[in-house]
Amino acid sequence: MKAILMLEDGKSFAGEGLGVEGEKIGGVIFNTAVVGYQEMMTDPANAGKILVLTYPLIGNYGTAPKFNESKGVWLAGFVIKEKSRIFSNWQAKQSLDDFIKEQNLVAMSQVDTRTLAVHLRQKGEMLGIISTKNFEAKELLAKLNDFKKKPPESALPKISVSRPLHRGREKAKYKIAILDLGITNSVIRQLETMGCSITLLPYNTSAQEILSAKPKGLIISNGPEEDAGLKEVVDNIKPLINRLPILGISTGHQILAQALGAKLTKLKLGHRGVNYPIHNPASYKGEITVQNHGYVVDADALSKIKEVKVTGYNLNDRTVEEIEGKKLKIIGTQYYLASPGFNEVNSVFKKFIKMLTKE
Amino acid sequence: MPRRKDIKKVLMIGSGPIVIGQACEFDYSGSQACKALREEGFFTILVNSNPATIMTDPDMANITYIEPLTVEMVTKIIAKERPDAILPTLGGQTGLNLAFFLMKQGILKKYGVESIGASVEAISCAEDRELFKKAMQEIGIDVPRSGIATTVEQGLKIGLGIGFPLILRPAYCLGGSGGSTAYNKEELEKFLYKGLETSPVHQVLVEQSVLGWKEIEFEVMRDCVDNVIMITSMENVDPMGVHTGDSIVVAPSQSLTAEEYTNFVNLSKRIIRRVGITGGGANIQFAQNPDNGHIVIIEVNPRLSRSSALASKATGFPIARVATKLAVGLTLPEVMNQITGKTTSFFEPTVDYCVFKICRFTFEKFPRAERVINTSMKAVGEAMSIGRNFKEALQKGIRSIEISRFGFGADGKDKITDEMLAKPDNGLIRLIKDKIRIPNDERLFYIRYGLKAGLSIDEIYELSRIDRWFLDEMKELVETEDEIRKFRNNDAEKEIKVPLDLLKEAKKEGFSDRQLAYLLNSKEDKVREFRKKQNIKAVYKLVDTCAGEFHSKQPYFYSTYETQDEGRPSKNKKVVILGGGPNRIGQGIEFDYCCCHAAYALREEGTDSIMINCNPETVSTDYDTSDRLYFEPLTLEDILNVIDLEKPIGVIVQFGGQTPLNLAIPLRKAGVHILGTSAENIDIAEDRQRFKQMLHKLDLLQPENGTAFTFQEAKQVAEKIGYPVLVRPSYVLGGRAMEIVYDEATLEYFIKEAAEVSGEHPVLIDKFLEDAIEVDVDMIGDGEAFVIGGIMEHIEEAGIHSGDSAMALPTYTLSQEILDKIREATYKMAKELDVVGLMNVQYAVKDDKVYVLEVNPRASRTIPFVSKVIGVPLAKLATKIILGAKLKDLGFTKEVIPKHVAVKESVFPFNRFPGVDIILGPEMKSTGEVMGIDVDFGRAYIKSQIAAGQNLPRKGNVFISVRDKDKRAVVFIAKKLRDLGFSIYATAGTATALEKNDIKVLVLPKIAEGRPNILDLMKDGKIQLVINTPSGRIPRQDEVKIRSQVILYNIPYTTTISGAQATVNGIEAMAKKDLNVKSLQDYHKKIKSQIPNPLPGRQAGKIKNGKNKH
Repeated sequence: MKAILMLEDGKSFAGEGLGVEGEKIGGVIFNTAVVGYQEMMTDPANAGKILVLTYPLIGNYGTAPKFNESKGVWLAGFVIKEKSRIFSNWQAKQSLDDFIKEQNLVAMSQVDTRTLAVHLRQKGEMLGIISTKNFEAKELLAKLNDFKKKPPESALPKISVSRPLHRGREKAKYKIAILDLGITNSVIRQLETMGCSITLLPYNTSAQEILSAKPKGLIISNGPEEDAGLKEVVDNIKPLINRLPILGISTGHQILAQALGAKLTKLKLGHRGVNYPIHNPASYKGEITVQNHGYVVDADALSKIKEVKVTGYNLNDRTVEEIEGKKLKIIGTQYYLASPGFNEVNSVFKKFIKMLTKE
Repeated sequence: MPRRKDIKKVLMIGSGPIVIGQACEFDYSGSQACKALREEGFFTILVNSNPATIMTDPDMANITYIEPLTVEMVTKIIAKERPDAILPTLGGQTGLNLAFFLMKQGILKKYGVESIGASVEAISCAEDRELFKKAMQEIGIDVPRSGIATTVEQGLKIGLGIGFPLILRPAYCLGGSGGSTAYNKEELEKFLYKGLETSPVHQVLVEQSVLGWKEIEFEVMRDCVDNVIMITSMENVDPMGVHTGDSIVVAPSQSLTAEEYTNFVNLSKRIIRRVGITGGGANIQFAQNPDNGHIVIIEVNPRLSRSSALASKATGFPIARVATKLAVGLTLPEVMNQITGKTTSFFEPTVDYCVFKICRFTFEKFPRAERVINTSMKAVGEAMSIGRNFKEALQKGIRSIEISRFGFGADGKDKITDEMLAKPDNGLIRLIKDKIRIPNDERLFYIRYGLKAGLSIDEIYELSRIDRWFLDEMKELVETEDEIRKFRNNDAEKEIKVPLDLLKEAKKEGFSDRQLAYLLNSKEDKVREFRKKQNIKAVYKLVDTCAGEFHSKQPYFYSTYETQDEGRPSKNKKVVILGGGPNRIGQGIEFDYCCCHAAYALREEGTDSIMINCNPETVSTDYDTSDRLYFEPLTLEDILNVIDLEKPIGVIVQFGGQTPLNLAIPLRKAGVHILGTSAENIDIAEDRQRFKQMLHKLDLLQPENGTAFTFQEAKQVAEKIGYPVLVRPSYVLGGRAMEIVYDEATLEYFIKEAAEVSGEHPVLIDKFLEDAIEVDVDMIGDGEAFVIGGIMEHIEEAGIHSGDSAMALPTYTLSQEILDKIREATYKMAKELDVVGLMNVQYAVKDDKVYVLEVNPRASRTIPFVSKVIGVPLAKLATKIILGAKLKDLGFTKEVIPKHVAVKESVFPFNRFPGVDIILGPEMKSTGEVMGIDVDFGRAYIKSQIAAGQNLPRKGNVFISVRDKDKRAVVFIAKKLRDLGFSIYATAGTATALEKNDIKVLVLPKIAEGRPNILDLMKDGKIQLVINTPSGRIPRQDEVKIRSQVILYNIPYTTTISGAQATVNGIEAMAKKDLNVKSLQDYHKKIKSQIPNPLPGRQAGKIKNGKNKH
């Protein structure tokens, strides 16, 4: 099965279709991580995107349900260089092929994904259409144009829980509410490891409803950026500031910053990978972080908000990666709060939990 | 944090000679460290005994010592130079051990020297087995069950407690030397003996075997504020049981899940923190049970290592440079990433390609050694290849190691043919299975045979425990091969008719034109022409540390078959330098040294240098040595691809050793311009017949000789010129299959062997000049003027390969008349061959006659040695000459005869090949070299011996046993030893000769005839020196036993009379006055006054804007 990826600037890439037949439009992003394809595919933050992997050998260790970050794949399309024909790992349950098919994903391989990545680096992230049915450049570009004219849709109703859902321990010292904008299982697992009681709330839960659940703290989760449903979330969060300790992760961090009055700017090329250095401006110490975002909080707007300090910059391009308001009891991390290892918890979660105890 | 201000002078320790387990990767790391220290403004003092390194170039460190790497000598350097700090982490295990002993003996404390990069505690924690085990358990990391034994009894008790199989590792040993696997009590006992002897601290770790588990490595770095980064993961294709230095390794790991990967990262961080590295890097080796994911730690190297060199080259991250900066107090965010030019070193490199490392073995040099690989490293070199997939990287990797194979089989050179594999009999299947089960250097090819003979992936997995993922990739190659074969022509002249899609697919999978030609029954050049016409061409992708995320300022390149070329060649004038490929016996670091100098010279001349090489250990494959680096196999196809893209003004072939020289003619035929001495004249020197004619014309002598294809022809030649004769194949390196033959019976045997190696070329037969003195001459010429760089006199007599012989510069016994004859002959030949660049000549001197043995119109193994002794960078000058400069312009017009004496001595890998006899002969066996330099021959020689690891005694007992021929000569030696206070032991025959000359001797019985015999005395440490010359081609049993025991117990020895003479001279010199140290710069000062015009140094050269990489 032949397949094509056509970018909105007219550049196209031919390849072999991997998954189901179809035609899908989405923002084309690339991720430079070497491992973690299943996690990236099932990360709701990538909803509606055409995900390109720069590492050329994919599928080597198969897939297993335990590595899903959410209940399924939210991608519009998936583009790789070479798909392994067998898989080899003691934990694997299914091949990547079968996984892709089961998830009804339009995917393609045999693409020079390095060239594609370099193109996006030079031109910026843009829309693309992936198709196994139609190879006419004109028609594909016309479809991309039509798509741009359509009013944006929100993926959040599908991604988020539809009603409050309980996870973790019934009774615990720390009762945490998570505003689910596309929460990943790895975050939930870490909170469970810390012994938290967790309530997942629908993305559009109002401030009042959140407060009435009486959580000790609120986490605004990671999830897709640029979603039509996010504006409502910002408005819902505003009244909560200074009333609840809040931790915003990635998109949640952007919501938090906007609720504080800051603005977002779009990056020419998003930060998408597992090797991003952040550093604290007050020291030489930093961390290597996992990132997956195309927007950042504008530093200038942020500097006018006195209650919040920038505590982490991206060392490569000096964009804001972490904010903290000690008095307001808020933390925002633009990067992912990845677990440092099996059964271990990211230190930011520990810091947040500490914040909860200091009444 | 800014760099430390309390440190001003830093002492760096190099790794000494190239040995198995420690090769030129430490020249790469040491040179990067020197540069990094100078960048930060430190005063650098360097000590290394290896003259063939870039790091010992006089402009790398402020002060350079080429002295033996012993506690005694380094203490003298410390006392003289008074450094504030010592950087022990860049000189391999040798450097680390030496620093450790300096600490233990309180020398660092006495002189107030701080160890930076790794503290005493960190080194102890990583290196001391017991401390390490405890530390790992403390942080919850499993170690294989084990115990430390200091006696055989203790070892047996521990071993039997754990159960077989067991791994034995001697403590403080590099490259796993002495390491072994025991399957039963008998083996355990045997290996315990060996291990305890090998370990310098007499400790052996007896350990639960994790044979067949996955071997995973991580390279980690940490700075003083606890920033930790992973450079890369590496997965060994050969599972546990094969030393990682011998294993095929891929980077990054291919079969780990994200969760497993994160877990390894987490463990690595915990380990580097616990070990306590606060400014540097470490290599961490894990084993993982492939059935349940259980992880145990194998070891941590708290220093730069072979693996870190590989990780560095695989990702583009300059680990040594960064480690050095971290050692002097900088943090990762403060050190720029020079590849991207805009990000810092505080990030984790990511790749969008597959890196493949494969080793080069030299079992053919040691026919009596068992051809298997295990936990004791045996590889002498390695190559790295890069592809967009594993298959491409694998095939390029096999091409890179230069074993005359052009990919994963299917190149017409398979030992087992397809016909045999189509209907394999039981014997063949058994052989294939054995070769897959027991690791060996040909295992890859046997996996292919297995796949072709119908073994399933699961069967091969069960035999080899090589991950199924790798095996299936290999199977895909076999399938593509079969697919291509379907389009085979019966007539080789017919047009190629393979479908383009299949051809493209094959190229993407790394098939070479050579393989395709074989499969399609065509010719390499026809395949190339065909695919170029169809526009199927190699494109170049980048090693840029970031998978394309950032624009990179200084990347390097690899070829692949993809849609877009990122080669971006410049419009500048440029020259291609062909490197030497993987290290092997006969071609090693010396040639890399020359290639680097060529690149430096080109930069000084404002010409772009383009390096092609595939050896990840080298300085030449460092990102900033040349202007553009292509990490590619050195085959005609791969080189022509680069040339097609770059369009250089020409190619330099004379620096990379025999590899590029052999490509001179094919390259010229393909229309490539060879710079320097013409391809035509190279051929005259290489072609026996044409060479003979030239000598005749010039009226020069040559040992009588002839060529032969068959034994009959050889017999006639030998009868005509008279025995003994020297038999050797044409066009080979390092005296491969070369033999001295005394009679017809042996002639028949060796002609067969030589003919096999020689292939389509004839076997060469020379009259062997017994007891002649051999002389090596290095010369430089610009086509008009010719200047000798150095005339070196071999210490061992003719018949021992020049690469194995010790030699002195200046000469020490030759008369002025002979020297003049040598000079005259050299200049005559240089003129005749119109040498532009370097030339090396080997002579034999007998009865006042000078015979020409061979001429190599290229840089020789001795170029770095000569350059360092005379203080003139010959390779660099030669490059400038190749570009058009004249010797006169360069200020080098007169031979320099130094007032000091330097001796180059060779270092041998005998301890790696148990059972191999240690005698020297015309086939080269040494892996590396050291230099001893001092005011006179005796002292220079003794330094060279100490540097080569011979712990020469000042008193004690000497054992002498020589063949009849040497009995007269040994009398004088024995007398001298007696006068120096040594007691002399001898076998009956030798004793008689000595006693006749009034030398008191203690006679020892033959080994079988009584005890205590010599073996017992050696075991008990009662013998301090052994002089034993071999009795003949087929040595007596006793001799071999004695000689192998010498290696086992590391007793100083010599197997030649000339060597014994020099040794005795040295011992005498040492007895008179203690050895002293003097820097290379001080030696050179004296010479500089001899040279009329000062030579342009590297700094003084023209550096084009933007070309200065510092």
